[in-house]
Amino acid sequence: MEYLKASEVKRPISENDRNIRRISMWKYIANRLVMVLIVIAGVTLVSFFAMYLAPGDPAELIALERYGQDLDKSQIESVREAEGLDAPVYFQYFIWLDHLLHLDLGRSIITSDDVLEEILLKLPATIELTVAGLLISLLIALPIGVLSAFQKNILLDNCCAFFSLIGISIPNFWLGILLIWLFSLTLHIFPSYGYGSLSHLALPALTLGISMSSITARLTRASLMEVMEKEYILAARARGFDEYTVVLRHALKNALLPVVTFAGMQLGYLLGGAVIVETIFSWPGIGKLLVDSIFARDFSMVQGCVLFIAVLFSLSSLAVDILYAVLDPRIRYDMYE
Amino acid sequence: MDRNFKPILLTCMLLAVIGASACISGENDETAKGDSFVENSQDLIVGISSDVNNWYLDKFADGDARFVWSQVYETLVRLDSNLNIIPGLAESWETPDNGTTWIFHLRKNVTFHDGTPFNADSVVFSYSDKSYVRQAVLKPIKSIEALDNYTVKFVLQKPMPLPFYLTHVAWPIMGPGCLDKAGNFIKPVGTGPFKFESQKKDQEIVLIRNDAYWGNKSLLNKVSFKIIPDPSTQVMAFENGELDMIIKVPEYDVKRLEAKKSIQVQKKLSTFTDFLQFNCDKTPFNDTKVRQSVAYAIDTKALVNDILNGVGKPAEGRPYSPNMMYSEPDLKTYSQDLDKSKALLKEAGWEDSNRDGILEKDGSPLNCTLLVSKGAWAARHTLMAQVAQEDLRKIGMNVEIQVLDEGAISKLEGMGNFGMILRTGYFVWGPYPKHFFIHHSKSPYSHYHNETYDQLVDAADSTIDPQKQKELYYALQNFVIKEVPAFYLVHEEKVVATGPSVKGFVITAEDPWLDLSGVYLERK
Repeated sequence: MEYLKASEVKRPISENDRNIRRISMWKYIANRLVMVLIVIAGVTLVSFFAMYLAPGDPAELIALERYGQDLDKSQIESVREAEGLDAPVYFQYFIWLDHLLHLDLGRSIITSDDVLEEILLKLPATIELTVAGLLISLLIALPIGVLSAFQKNILLDNCCAFFSLIGISIPNFWLGILLIWLFSLTLHIFPSYGYGSLSHLALPALTLGISMSSITARLTRASLMEVMEKEYILAARARGFDEYTVVLRHALKNALLPVVTFAGMQLGYLLGGAVIVETIFSWPGIGKLLVDSIFARDFSMVQGCVLFIAVLFSLSSLAVDILYAVLDPRIRYDMYE
Repeated sequence: MDRNFKPILLTCMLLAVIGASACISGENDETAKGDSFVENSQDLIVGISSDVNNWYLDKFADGDARFVWSQVYETLVRLDSNLNIIPGLAESWETPDNGTTWIFHLRKNVTFHDGTPFNADSVVFSYSDKSYVRQAVLKPIKSIEALDNYTVKFVLQKPMPLPFYLTHVAWPIMGPGCLDKAGNFIKPVGTGPFKFESQKKDQEIVLIRNDAYWGNKSLLNKVSFKIIPDPSTQVMAFENGELDMIIKVPEYDVKRLEAKKSIQVQKKLSTFTDFLQFNCDKTPFNDTKVRQSVAYAIDTKALVNDILNGVGKPAEGRPYSPNMMYSEPDLKTYSQDLDKSKALLKEAGWEDSNRDGILEKDGSPLNCTLLVSKGAWAARHTLMAQVAQEDLRKIGMNVEIQVLDEGAISKLEGMGNFGMILRTGYFVWGPYPKHFFIHHSKSPYSHYHNETYDQLVDAADSTIDPQKQKELYYALQNFVIKEVPAFYLVHEEKVVATGPSVKGFVITAEDPWLDLSGVYLERK
């Protein structure tokens, strides 16, 4: 990424500068949107063919779902014909794509529910969990990161490093069960599963938040330590600001830039990747829907979920890039011109 | 910062705050222990692991759906808690021509949940051509006819013991009120002790008492089925008092729960048996002696005692559970005998010529694969497969375990690319030994082709005379023991745990093993 010189930053921004900046910003967004479309097109291709390359005869699995184990071979063939599974795969792909352009993701082959409706029904739960997880992770990570940056090489810093290591190493499913054991079974504070209230949200959000916060904390620490070496911090100190003002007003704001990027990337990861947490806590989100659909071999639902997650991921990373630029005026968009 | 972007940033932040507060405002804060601690409530909360994806007769009720179906819908013929056949919605039945025609006399004064009367037309409706049971299981049915309001005649293409087939809860009697005028499914309408109230997808199904029930009305007001797929979470929620009852306790949790005074654990031998199915079309299992040698090598007693914590019964090759019909008490089963096992392999021409511990024949080592499903219904299978692998290693067989999902297994199975598959159940419901069809050449799961066996299975299923049927099923059991198309490992025990408030529950051997009649709650 290209930066302006420090002297240029200090120059007062004219109305002309602002207009140029605004235009290049929109151009940048348009470019990124085109990239998003390309990514999504790629995702449709991969998700569709990956499901067909995966082992298992879809016709047999649908027949099993409909008729139980009392199957014979003619039933499998009749399902294959009825569901259009006897057509060549590329032909099936184009039919799916055509429906997709009309915002029709098809129907679940297991439950016959509309795929798009089903996904939209699960979306609020996933967003709730993601936002809460992200907030918790930042609430844990920022103070720890700041503290450990200033307590370099002493006990507290080591403790923070240890916490980060543990946080990275513990798998979500284990942490989730540990939290259920502690907060539900032992302390009786939160329910162990379910959806619908803040107390239900607490444990899954904590599981997600804790596992994410460890990396964010290390990143905050590293970034803050780097910023504290900069000349403008020295200048701020020289002007007589107390250490509190120097850190919170001058250093932290700049140090947060990589943290914002990372949190944004995590947001995308969380939207699609909270799968295990959703399964452990019976949280009715998209992640759980995806896992259930994979196990049930519900091809249309899996394709719909993967596509939806890809779209969310792409859009959230676009949003982060924009936010990043808003936070840091030194970033130029004209590099895309 | 550019002034124009400040509003955008502020909006983003605002949205984040709204998003977070939405989580809070949607709050309907309950205590951590949920509804289950409401005083004097007769609202039972049961944990299940999968939702009901289908409520109508055109599809199979898979997974745990059957537990819910069995409260809402009823069958013409039922099973008591020891699997004896008893009247259900049909009071009696007869076959005037030795099994080709069956006449059922229906119970009078029974109404569906929507108030419409139960009669012969609803039986014809439930077994119409559109029902999957006609398409999948009861294909030999030629016609179903209402002789009068309370008499139904089934005509079959061949003699069959039809009443046994009609006990399965996945093909019960449904009311015509299930459909709207255009023929689309709208809601479940049955005759059972509970009525459908609501369903929150993948979260909860609520049933309420049917006050117009023809039999003994339930003592419970409401049953909520909570859907919790993860077995550990389910057990913890139960221990925390959020659930009154869990109906599939994992084997490894049984002892721990049994040790708690407030928890009642009930076990009952089920009709399911875990088995190692051989690919009899390919070497090495196309040789009966090799299959017999596997049967002598695996210690099924150790499997039950060491791996399943004593939950289940060692099958020792017995093809189905002793509580099934016509189970031969004197069946000569297998027990571990490594010398015999090795001798059989030697007879079959397998020898360790290069002294590496693995036998060889014509230069090829005795290698094979064992496919294991990782589905929720068979969590114990991976461990069982490892024990079998160890036992087989002792006789010089090298087994590679592949833990796969059902789809992958069906693919490898279709290609014939496997040695053994570890399975459970298959064509099992009630006490009727339909399971023998799995080794019939016509079954898509069969990897065994033997005309004598096929003839025996066909004859047994088209015989009505109990004495003759018994002889044929005895012969089939002995056939499986001798020919070993599969080696039967463990007869599964179902385990249900109930919390301190639940009184009057008795586990049944029937699948699904959830009879709630007589159950009530005493909240403390």
